[in-house]
Amino acid sequence: MNKDITHCLLCAQRIQAVISWRILLTKQFPPTICDRCMAQFEDSSCAFAIYKYNEAMKVYLHQYKFLQDIALAKVFRQQIHAHFRKERAIIIPIPMHPLKQIERTFSHVEELLKAACIPYIQLLEKTTTETQSTKNREQRIQVAPLFRLIAGRQVEYQDYLLFDDIKTTGTTLQHATTILLDAGAKNVRTFTLISG
Amino acid sequence: MNYRSWIVPPALRDFHEGRIWLKEHSPFAQQDIERALQHHYVQVLPGIQTIPSIKCNRCHNQNRHQFILFDCAKCQKTCVYCRHCIKMGRVSSCTQLMIWAGPRFIKQKKHTFHWTGQFTLLQRKAADEVLASVKQRRSHIITAVCGAGKTELLFPTVYYALCQGLRICIATPRTDVVLELFPRFQRTFPQTTIHALYGDAPKQEGYAQLIIATTHQLYRFKQAFDVMIVDEADAFPYVFDDTLQQAVQKAKTAIAPIIVVTATPSQKLLSQFPTVQRSFIPKRYHNHPLPVPQFSALWRYEKCFRAGKIPRKLKKWVEHQLAQQRPFLLFFPTIELMLVAEPLFQAMESTIVAVHAEDPERKEKVLQLRQREVKGLLTTTILERGITIANVQVAVIGAESAIFTASALIQIAGRVGRHVDFADGDILFFHHGITAEMDEARAEIIKYNKEGFSE
Ligand SMILES: [Zn+2]
Ligand SMILES: [Zn+2]
Repeated sequence: MNKDITHCLLCAQRIQAVISWRILLTKQFPPTICDRCMAQFEDSSCAFAIYKYNEAMKVYLHQYKFLQDIALAKVFRQQIHAHFRKERAIIIPIPMHPLKQIERTFSHVEELLKAACIPYIQLLEKTTTETQSTKNREQRIQVAPLFRLIAGRQVEYQDYLLFDDIKTTGTTLQHATTILLDAGAKNVRTFTLISG
Repeated sequence: MNYRSWIVPPALRDFHEGRIWLKEHSPFAQQDIERALQHHYVQVLPGIQTIPSIKCNRCHNQNRHQFILFDCAKCQKTCVYCRHCIKMGRVSSCTQLMIWAGPRFIKQKKHTFHWTGQFTLLQRKAADEVLASVKQRRSHIITAVCGAGKTELLFPTVYYALCQGLRICIATPRTDVVLELFPRFQRTFPQTTIHALYGDAPKQEGYAQLIIATTHQLYRFKQAFDVMIVDEADAFPYVFDDTLQQAVQKAKTAIAPIIVVTATPSQKLLSQFPTVQRSFIPKRYHNHPLPVPQFSALWRYEKCFRAGKIPRKLKKWVEHQLAQQRPFLLFFPTIELMLVAEPLFQAMESTIVAVHAEDPERKEKVLQLRQREVKGLLTTTILERGITIANVQVAVIGAESAIFTASALIQIAGRVGRHVDFADGDILFFHHGITAEMDEARAEIIKYNKEGFSE
């Protein structure tokens, strides 16, 4: 269980040359998917995300979040690790509502960071179980705050970086940013795995 | 409300009888499920068992690499889930599987058998042999060449089993085959409740005494069927996947016979059946011999395509089909090479298109070929089964590739000459060197023809 991955997590084909010298020397994570599957994902053209949302990404998110295939948290661990390795701001993953997390059995955003060995802290909690995607644009903008500070947690005069899996309208990240700035954060930036 | 007086909702029983199902995914109200539990009408099983060794209780997967450990937010423990059957809804240590143990559906013994077709002598003999086996509850294998009319052979046996009040499953590895068989069985048994189960199948009401399903769907049944028919048994992925074979065993009752229907059985499969439990139809229903594959060398075809040219011999063959107005299929060893070649063929004839396994327009493209709206299709092995197009001509490009096993090549050749009005046709193996698999495919076909026409 959870051993070295010898077969692609997406298409189950055998992965060629599991451990190459390059991987050993540069201390990279071994790949978890094959080259053919990796080629299906498109690089994002913006600086605030790694990938673009496309058909392959849709299938990936479905299997990861909807079918709850936690193993897929590892698929982009190398890319996420490379991006955050030198990050100096404090990283905060966008939280799920506790009930939603119990239903899904895991937090998909936190698992992405865990798989990439990126340290993070949590200061926020979600106030609503509704998802943004079920509302229209008007409704999204007008809603009450989606997050609040966890009781007893302190926001410092520091740089923070909010991390989410995907950015569609930006409402979620905006709400979280406002809470942190209002509580005294020096600066808040945002970054997502996928741009919508 | 007194729960003793509770009457099982028939729909609940009809759905859950014979199924092994995620309790939380039951399509019925949780309070009805709880009631059924109180009455011991439902048995509950953990999703994953760890003793004596790890095993998924739904799909029976035991491969340790396909189990994933994680910290579960639901049960606050370390959980394990099975990746093998995840597409059907995740099964983990803390999920519960439910099995119906309550009153059973009283099966219908009156059925209508509506079929006006006629058997050839060989078909009649095989149909009788299968029926005799099922009457004695013993397993049977039918080997029949492509186009022998295998499905009809099963009608008398299915009718007999239905009238005995038995529950029957016809399982096949491919959704296309399920979709093809379902309406044929509905027409033949118009008063029988039949369900077709596959990946995105619509919800179907009632208790089905006859189920036509993909082999994957068998994971969701336990000791449900009294007769188990496995069609196209040698087809990918069945042959490669032990878990699927176990699923066949799990889905049927211990004494239920298994009927295997195949065009290209392996020796290993055949040897599992004593002679009286074997039937063989070496001849097509229209009594014409199988077209024999021709070999034609197409040296360095791959380089040629990549240089933007269609190899000369192949081009001539395609031109000939276009001139004769005959529909054709070109089989490629890889999707990648096929897509390289596609624009080259389109430059010859604009309606030629490529189709592959994940192509969402697969069905439409095949239909267009059948209706002559497109002149030819480029394809990977995906179309090798369950497609019948009158007067179709077939060429395999790179027949030496490992993907073209003898059994795949026999299936591909079997597309040609199925229609009584066009009983002959081209089957060409273009190659960069002849393989043992190619030789074997050709020898098998010649052997069938000899046996079929020896009297
Ligand atoms: Zn399983
Ligand atoms: Zn759990």
